[in-house]
Amino acid sequence: MKQQLKRIGLVTCLSAINMLLVACGPQKIPTGLVYCSEGNPESFNPQTVTSGTTIDATSQQLYDTLVDYDPVTSSIVPALATSWYSSDDGLSYRFKLRSGVQFHQTNYFTPTRHLNADDILFSFNRIIDSKNPYHEVAANGYPFFQSIGLSQTISNIEKVSDNEVIFHLRHSDASFLSNLATGFSIILSKEYADNLLADDKAEDLDRYPIGTGPFKLTKYVKNEYIRYHRNEQFWRKLPEFEHLVFDITPRSTARLTKLITGDCNVSALPKAGELPVIKQHPHLELDTQLGFNVAFWAFNTQKEPFNDVRVRQALAYAVDSQNILRAVYQETAIEATGMLPPQSWAYSYNKSRYDYNPQKAKALLKQAGIDKLNIDVWAMPVARIYNPNALKTAELIQADLANIGVTVNIVTYDWSVFNQKLSRRDYDSVLIGWNADNSDPDNFFSPMLSCDAQRSSSNRAQWCNAKMDGILAKAKATTNTAERKALYQQAEKLFREQLPMLPFAHATQLTIKQRNIKQTQLTPFGGISFENTMKIVPEDKH
Amino acid sequence: MGRYLLRRLNLFLATSLVLIAVLFITTGYFPVDKQYALTGIESPTLQQQALSRDEFKLDSNGFNQFLAYTEQRLSGNLGLSVTSQKPVIDELTQVLPASFELAIVAGLLAILLGVPLGVLASLSKNKITQHSIMAITLTGYSIPVFWLGLTLSLWFGVELGWLPISGRINLLYEIEPITGFMLIDTLLSDSIYRISAFLDALQHIVLPAITLAVLPFTVVVRITRAAMLHIMNEPYIRAAEARGLHTGTIVLRHALPNALIPVLKNMGLMLGTFASYAMIVEVIFSWPGVGSWLVSGIYQRDYTVIQGGVLGVALIIIFFSILIEVLHNAINPISRKEIYAAN
Repeated sequence: MKQQLKRIGLVTCLSAINMLLVACGPQKIPTGLVYCSEGNPESFNPQTVTSGTTIDATSQQLYDTLVDYDPVTSSIVPALATSWYSSDDGLSYRFKLRSGVQFHQTNYFTPTRHLNADDILFSFNRIIDSKNPYHEVAANGYPFFQSIGLSQTISNIEKVSDNEVIFHLRHSDASFLSNLATGFSIILSKEYADNLLADDKAEDLDRYPIGTGPFKLTKYVKNEYIRYHRNEQFWRKLPEFEHLVFDITPRSTARLTKLITGDCNVSALPKAGELPVIKQHPHLELDTQLGFNVAFWAFNTQKEPFNDVRVRQALAYAVDSQNILRAVYQETAIEATGMLPPQSWAYSYNKSRYDYNPQKAKALLKQAGIDKLNIDVWAMPVARIYNPNALKTAELIQADLANIGVTVNIVTYDWSVFNQKLSRRDYDSVLIGWNADNSDPDNFFSPMLSCDAQRSSSNRAQWCNAKMDGILAKAKATTNTAERKALYQQAEKLFREQLPMLPFAHATQLTIKQRNIKQTQLTPFGGISFENTMKIVPEDKH
Repeated sequence: MGRYLLRRLNLFLATSLVLIAVLFITTGYFPVDKQYALTGIESPTLQQQALSRDEFKLDSNGFNQFLAYTEQRLSGNLGLSVTSQKPVIDELTQVLPASFELAIVAGLLAILLGVPLGVLASLSKNKITQHSIMAITLTGYSIPVFWLGLTLSLWFGVELGWLPISGRINLLYEIEPITGFMLIDTLLSDSIYRISAFLDALQHIVLPAITLAVLPFTVVVRITRAAMLHIMNEPYIRAAEARGLHTGTIVLRHALPNALIPVLKNMGLMLGTFASYAMIVEVIFSWPGVGSWLVSGIYQRDYTVIQGGVLGVALIIIFFSILIEVLHNAINPISRKEIYAAN
């Protein structure tokens, strides 16, 4: 019997060793890049969303815009439009289109013609023209464009010839070109849309995307992955990778472990607490990029008691934002005292008006006639660039507010549900933030604090203030930088007084990746891009 | 035997009906519009609304609604997933094979390692061997599966970097599902990376399968041991010994087949626990099976996925429990006698 026992032990050991050998053996693997992303995209058309997860998965990979923003030179550069002229009064923009640009050829669509002016007209008319057959197809509307009031800005778009279009504006708008350069203003194929309409499958336009971008979609499996294939007809330099896969991994620790074990090459949004782990693994490195973002706590100003400015101020005094910076961001963020981050040209330093002061908070609450307050704080379930851990932030706020006798109830849902429920607008307050889409300072105000934004529900504070709208309209109407800066400072001042939301941090954008992956374009605006990413050939991996 | 099978079939139908009734009633309590909870269509056209009213007989009384609900669900209409707007039945059939693959590999591990070890434990006269085997199985039995999964992934994945700890395969391998079993599909695929894809899939299954196998493994060892101890004292074994048969022959030919009968019975009883363990393991190792699908459905408030997932998983468990019971009775001569006696 003992003999047998020994034999079995031997077999077990051998098979275990065998497994290990297999694990260490050299392996062939297709060329490609796996990116661990943090969630499911809500749609494959960025026109219809504002969530960064969707932008990451679509804008830079599948589509192109008329013009691009170059973060190095901070200027607008040609993309699908090769050149453009604006009239002196700023009321019309004439774009000349690139010729020979092909749309994706996939198993659900084969283009018969190149990009032309019809596609541009369709892409924008879909948003601004309520009579366009596709206008109503997007169930949640076009939140970004509604918040900047694009349909009020553009009076019509004129097709001059097959490769020239003119945008006619109702009033001049200094942020117009910048808005065209955002990842939302993508160009769709009219031919594809017409085909779908004829087949009565209009919803497929946003579900099975056709664009002109560097990659085309091959397969999306919810909760699991998005698989892209290189667009062999891409009009710029072809990407080095034939395959691109987004491995959907909502848990941050799981993303980190996948990166360590090599299942991912690049991973999104690490929690600050995980950064020391990266140092222990020499094959990993951290990419940082000063972020163009702001994390805030928005109060629903349409709701009692948050319609009272004193209550909002009291809550601001009660929260120790230095503590949040330490515990949540671990010094990877800087304190926000207003909406604009220091990198913005319209920024100027302001001392925080709401330093931690529980006594003052109590006094203000008393003034407002409130002695017992019970509020809900909605916290995002996923890490975002501007806030890697909203739940922890909410817990810190909960502890701080307990000191002044306010009870906090933390509410959270899965990301897509969270977004849907937010648009019902019945929350008390929400911890969320904003990542800029372009460098224009207007991007920190109009999409979040204007009355237009309130109507499209991207104004998380539900705050509509005529004075603020007046300042923003004035700032958009002029192109004089000094004048605009002064106006935005005025807006900041009004914002700080009224405090519809409490900004607390401008976060650094973090991505972890394997050391041999180069040039993942981490732009401060919009989504991540893998167009120019390269893998340095490993010197014999094993 | 015929009447016995009929009774079991009856049990299966009755249990399933109760299950569907529970699902039907709870669906009414979901905090959304009932039609939405039933169909999952996000913004239905008037036509779709009329169709689903008709399908689920929403204008009729509760009993008719229940009948319509049962009919729709059993004919495979599980509605659209709220989050992806794709048919739930498609998603379910897509994730089920992954779960089966994991369960089969884990089950095989448990039986192929557990039975010999149980036999050893029962035959060994050495106290140390006996006690250490029992100590190991008792420890294995009492370790919480989530802790075990996390510890294994921490050690073998993060610290040592030997094995991948999430997913079924490196996603760069583009494997078209044919059977849905990754280990088979990789070999069937015509990709030039076939073999390395297979090895990669094999590595991915090691840790989750081991984690899931621990509980059934310990149970198999303990039951086998107890049954063997009992059987080795039976007169017919002693008679075989007296005939001078070799110990190996006695164990393999005479004792083990009888000892495996209680093992089979206990596996049937364990099925529910095993399934819930499998879900935990799937979540820990991001194994894209029915468990992680259902759990994310719950997080996403995907009402149609919750109903479809619960229905699918529960039906499968009911079916297999009854199947194992029937098998057990078919194999076991004693209970066969009882059946005849009962008739």
